[in-house]
Formats: sequence, C-alpha cells, structure tokens
Amino acid sequence: MTSLPLSLGPLAAEGFIVRRSGLHWLCEDGHWCRPNEVIGYCNLSLEKLSGQRSGNFPMADELEFQVAFAPSIGGRLHIAGGYSPGGYLNAFGLHVWNADDVVGHLDPIADAEAGAGRLRLLLLAGRRMSGLADVDYGLLPGWHSRSRAWWGDQAGPQSTLLCIGICDAAGIVRGNEIPFVEAFEACPDPVQLVYVPDHPVVPCAPILLEQLNRTPAQRQAMAADLTSGLANSRTPATADDWLFAGALLSSLERSPMLESYDVLTPTGLRRMGPPDAVLLSLSAEMQSVLRHKKLGYSLQMLRHRQASAGPAVRAWLSSAFEPVKRSIDDIRRDYRRLIEALATKTGARVLILNRMSTSGYEDILSYAPFDAPMRETLEHVAAKEMNLMLHDLAEECDFSIVDVDAIAAVLGGTEHLPDGIHHSGAMQTVLRSEIIQALNSQGSARRIAG
Amino acid sequence: MLHDLRLPKINPNMSSAVVECAYAAPGTLLKVGDRLFDLSVDLSSGFSQYCPPISYFRVVVREKLWLRKTLVAPGDNCDVGAMLALFSTEQDEPIEASPARAIRITTAGIAHHQGLWSASVQ
Repeated sequence: MTSLPLSLGPLAAEGFIVRRSGLHWLCEDGHWCRPNEVIGYCNLSLEKLSGQRSGNFPMADELEFQVAFAPSIGGRLHIAGGYSPGGYLNAFGLHVWNADDVVGHLDPIADAEAGAGRLRLLLLAGRRMSGLADVDYGLLPGWHSRSRAWWGDQAGPQSTLLCIGICDAAGIVRGNEIPFVEAFEACPDPVQLVYVPDHPVVPCAPILLEQLNRTPAQRQAMAADLTSGLANSRTPATADDWLFAGALLSSLERSPMLESYDVLTPTGLRRMGPPDAVLLSLSAEMQSVLRHKKLGYSLQMLRHRQASAGPAVRAWLSSAFEPVKRSIDDIRRDYRRLIEALATKTGARVLILNRMSTSGYEDILSYAPFDAPMRETLEHVAAKEMNLMLHDLAEECDFSIVDVDAIAAVLGGTEHLPDGIHHSGAMQTVLRSEIIQALNSQGSARRIAG
Repeated sequence: MLHDLRLPKINPNMSSAVVECAYAAPGTLLKVGDRLFDLSVDLSSGFSQYCPPISYFRVVVREKLWLRKTLVAPGDNCDVGAMLALFSTEQDEPIEASPARAIRITTAGIAHHQGLWSASVQ
C-alpha cells in the first residue's frame, strides 16, 4: 500500500497572510491514527498584507488562535523532520502557511481515495478572561471567557452551537481531555462549537435573559456599584477580590447569545452571526437566585466559585444582594421568556439537558420523615419535578429536551453519573450524538432519546 | 441489645464522608423517621478541582431506639466503616458490650441547605 503524504491544506484570509508556528505533535512517530484523530497543532496569526489600510483586525480579542490537524483516514503516522524547531519558534507565527507543506506520511489501513492525504484542520480560538492569562503551550491553554472550534473543511462551519451550561453541558461540548477534540472526532458536520464557562456566574435563565436585554447604562451602573462596594468595604479588597470582580463583570456585561464570530476557512475569512442553537443545563436552575437590592439584577454562582472570591466580594454579595426563592412555576416562566426572547432576537433554537432523577444510593421506604415540600429537601424529587416542568414547557414553546435522565438510566447511573452531574466519557459520547442529531433534525419541541 | 451505626458505603466510589449535621443528642429516644445525620460525600476526596462532585445525604432511623453515644460531630471526616453512633433498645442498658447488629436506616440524597456544617465555613 502506498504511503500518503500528509499536507496541511489551504487556509486563506483576504487581505492577510496566514502565519503559523512550528508544529507540536500530540503523538509519537509510528502512532496508529484513527480517522479524524487530532495528532498535532500549531499556533496561527494573521498579518495584514502590505498596502492594506489599518482597521478592524479580525479575531483581535481572541489571543489564542490555533489549528490542530487530523488525518481523514486511519493509518500509521510517520512524522516528517524539520517542522518542529522547538522553543519559542513553536509558539511564534514565523512561517507563512503553505497548503503544500508535507508534515508527515501515513501508511493507510485501507485503500485511500485521491486527496485522502490532506489533513483535516480543526481551528480553535480562545478569548482570554484577561490578557494576563497567557500560557504558551498546549491546545487552548489559559483561562478563557469564550472558546470555540470548527473544522476548516471547504467553506467552514454552516452553523454554531453555543454551550452555556454548567459542568454537565461543558463536558459534552468542550470535553475533558484536549479542548473540543473529543467532540470533533465524533462530529463530521460543518458546525462550530462555542463554550462559555460558568466563571463565575451560573448561566441560569433569568441571568441569561437579563444579559440579552441589558443596556450600556445598566452595565455602567453595575460596574460602578461593584467598584464602590469593594472600595468602601470594611474589609480591604485583596487580589482575589479584584480578580473575581473582573471576571464577574466580564461575565455580566456580555451576552454570549448575541455574539458573532469570525471563522477562518480554506476559502477565506467569514463572519458568522449569533449562534443557531444554544445548549443549556437544567441543573443550572437553582431554587433561589440572588437579586441586587438596588439595581435589581440577578446573580447566582456555584458554591465552589464563591469560595474563590476574596473577603470584600463576599461581604458585598452579602450586603448588596438578597436571596429570592424560585418556584417551579418561576423557573418555567423564566425559561419561556428566555426561549421567546432568543427566538425574537436571533432565532436560535434552545436545547436543554434535563437532570438525572433517580439514584441507586438511596433506599427510601417512606417519605414521612422528610419535610414538605419534598423538592426542597430531596434532590431526586426536585429533579423529577424539574424534568416534568420541562415537558410541560415543551407544550408551550419550541425547544428540545436532551434526556440525560433516560440515557443515564439505560447506561447505568452508578457507573456513568456517580454524583448526578458529572458524566462518564461514554455517556458524554452518547449525549453528543443526541445533540448532533437534534441539531440536524427539524421540528418543534420534542424529547430526545429515552 | 446494642446496635451501632457505621458510615455506610453510600456510593461505591466513596472512601469517606463529612458529618454535616448531627440531629439527635445522646439519651434521646428515637422513633421511626427521626433524622440522625446529614453527610456530604466528595468523590474527588477533597482534591480542589474544576467542580467538586459533592453529594449530600440524610440518614434517618427506621426503628425505635435509644441514642446512647454519638462519636462524631459536624465537620468530622469519617472513613467508610467508622462508627458514628451507638444505640440500645433499653434506656439504661450498659454500653460496654459489642453491638449485636447495625441499626436499620434510610439514606436519601438531599439538597444543600444552610444548616449544613460546610455552609457555615464557606
């Protein structure tokens, strides 16, 4: 069988030179590759062509910009020498991107079609939470307020899925190994995946809705209030306070559901509009939120996130906010408003991961010992009521339920969902597949899988 | 007759739990359905990570017994199998003998609440 030369393939940006760093390999020479397995990557940069007028620079706020590459077919890899000088030369964009660069060879497992030696390119971009959060090694290293990836095939992605859930959604989309790589190895579709973390704000429906509608004046008032809260705190603000406050403002000031994206493709740079689909997590809908006493905005954070705030932020949270309980009907109303607002503003479809609602770790023979209302005491009663609420809501508005509950029951919750929120790799794979299926299907609210 | 309560292996991946609440005082006659302890189980074993996999459980007694001795307090980290409390069927029964069996309990996953020991230290 003939050894296939592995070439980088084209990337283009009108008015710019695409440059790359030296290559980083994620596997050894002689590695047996799976089709679409990411085997290496390099950093990318765009340089304005001489004679071009200065102006807006595409992706200027995404200081991490990389391309990973994968063979389209399986086979044994032979890495070519001369492409990895190491050191800072593997970080800086010293080389002009050349589609014909042959970076290795592949002994294919089966007969290969013409063109099979061209590597598939997975573009990755990360917007740092702070310009200070630079880590110059690895794929999408550092701390990002938004990260995204797309296959650079042909004209590039045709749609965007934005993930703004908590851990259960993050693991499915961003993965737990190398960012996005697990998802894209399984997903051949021309889709862009975008991940916005819960640092430090929990993306629950009322907060997302307020982000959608927030005015510049409201943002300024929130920033001024937080600044004043820290500056006038009886407890001197520490470095942890200011870092936390910066991340908090960054999160509250933006609506990831309204953002657009530049995508680099083999045929040029393209601008994509706001996400076509948004993945949310029912687990993010807590039974209470914090409401700012003066400005009226909502806030919620996971406990382990709050623990990373300094004393002045914690004091500010205690004094400036009050907890507001949310009934099931409140949560249903918040979801409905969010789904309707999104439909009006961007037309994005909403997918919601429901909750695991049973546990093999309990042996309740009678509910008499537990205080009513049960949903406020027993975790799995709460999960069942929330799941039922989603089904009722699906009668009222258009969205899709990704049935984590049913999938966990089929796979086995003890093995694949031991704490009810963090999925195993196998379960993430099934859920990814369900989500891709949902994105590709048409129609209105429905339950997926189960 | 003496009975004991040892930390059960609620989750097959757990090795320990933190006592979050101890509801009953020694000398109390417990009836079916009375709360004994709230526990938290951290499957990351306390390793500070991305999002700690912590679950909360309530242990409820399923038989009428006297609570004679509590060996743990809120905040204590206990290994699976560690004795949490000692019970007797009679109020004044000596407690030096070996327990005849474990007490019968119900274990239920509960929501986080402000009465938990960990809520007061965060």
